[in-house]
Amino acid sequence: MTETRRRSTALVGDDNRIVVAGQTLTWRTLPKLPQIPSPAAVLVNSGVDALAAVRHHAVHGTELLVATSSRVDPAMREELGESGFAVVMASGDDSTVKSAKLKRVEESGRVWLLTSGSTGRPKRIGHTLESLTTVHGKQPERTWLCPYSPGTYAWWQVITISLTLADQHLVMIEPSELETWPVIAAEHGVTAASGTPTFWRQTLYRDTEALAKVPLEQITLGGEPVDQAILDRLREVFPQARISWIYASSEVGASIVVHDGKAGFPKAWLDRDPESASDRPLLSVDGDELVITSPHHGAGLDGPVRTGDRVEIVGDNRDRVLITGRLDSDEINVGGSKVSAGLVRNVLTAHPAVVWARVFARKAPIVGRMVAAEVVLDSEMGPTTDADLVRWCTSRLPDYGVPRRIRFLDEIPAKETLKSDV
Amino acid sequence: MSQLTRDQIRDLMGEVMKAQGKALPADDAADLREIGFRSLDFSELALRVEDEIGDELNFDAPGLRQIAKVGDVLDFIEQLQSV
Repeated sequence: MTETRRRSTALVGDDNRIVVAGQTLTWRTLPKLPQIPSPAAVLVNSGVDALAAVRHHAVHGTELLVATSSRVDPAMREELGESGFAVVMASGDDSTVKSAKLKRVEESGRVWLLTSGSTGRPKRIGHTLESLTTVHGKQPERTWLCPYSPGTYAWWQVITISLTLADQHLVMIEPSELETWPVIAAEHGVTAASGTPTFWRQTLYRDTEALAKVPLEQITLGGEPVDQAILDRLREVFPQARISWIYASSEVGASIVVHDGKAGFPKAWLDRDPESASDRPLLSVDGDELVITSPHHGAGLDGPVRTGDRVEIVGDNRDRVLITGRLDSDEINVGGSKVSAGLVRNVLTAHPAVVWARVFARKAPIVGRMVAAEVVLDSEMGPTTDADLVRWCTSRLPDYGVPRRIRFLDEIPAKETLKSDV
Repeated sequence: MSQLTRDQIRDLMGEVMKAQGKALPADDAADLREIGFRSLDFSELALRVEDEIGDELNFDAPGLRQIAKVGDVLDFIEQLQSV
């Protein structure tokens, strides 16, 4: 291993509190992993090992990829070894290291992320601690909830706030704690929480009472299209909190941040002069696709990046740009008429009794595809039938956009990334 | 794969019409255009039948035909089930 760049061992966030697996530590007192070569892919089953790997990287500038072990299958581990990564199976003092098959010089300071794989097999995207750190300057003291899976872009966003800024504490939520996180968060005084819309819907659905006891001042949503209904429901529970949504990805970084409590972003933000907008990304639309030129991009992704996300101009004055979903799965062609699955989903989730909805195309005669949906209802709202939902949609959507077959599920399905299992 | 009777198919067709705020006439000779039974409704009926029988209907098998009356719809779905 060669260490070409040694950093200061005194990190700004070193004395920030970290609550992980029931223990209260700081970055400085985190248990260390016995051995982390460089380059290394550190595969973890716990938040504490992931944080230990991050601090090691922050101090020593080693080349690091961190991910949960379940996201990296044996074939991908082989590929990592062939690409020069030692594979560390992190488990505290019992960690094991499989040496890299290819010996190469490390890229000092490089952090690798795996994309969520929503467009296929996960890809490696190169970043640095600096490119992942998008919150700068003096911030009010906050205790952040981190429910994300280690190594994802959203996880890094929360982690770097605590690592690089003073008075930014962390409460890490392990997968086994996801159903009861509001209790843990209330106990440790969490004031800021970031999660996917699915994460927030699940929480509102399971236990709104427990959620309301968390003293949240900042609520952030990201990772999936954000609809107005989820923003409004969070506003009802937390009338005083700042509610923000962020458009971010491994490829273009955090590129859109909206604080006005509305879904979508102002149309005036499209094609703004980048010079007058300093380090802001340049946002544009090509056809239906969001295109971003971002200063927070991953390595080799400078210039305009086609996001693969579909947008629609909405609002009474057509002044809002709504991100409705992935282009390759969002558009449903019903007998030649095209409808956005995301927009149909927004209509369904705006129904007072609906807490979650998945909208998809179903093969059908004559029209080729029809809109179908799976829905989870709020049991406290009284009985709601598929006919009720069809009527609700009929008054808000063109006839070809109304889901004709609606199946009710008992609970919200979710993936490890906290994104909806869509 | 279980099959639905003509009456059961008619009941499902009635449900499709009811969901659209319309009623299905008892007469098999009723004109589909006049009662407002459109291609989307026909597609929904096919999905309802598929859900009931737990199998996909094979629409490729029978040749195209004119489906103009309620009875034509019932005949067609009955025929698809037997393919």
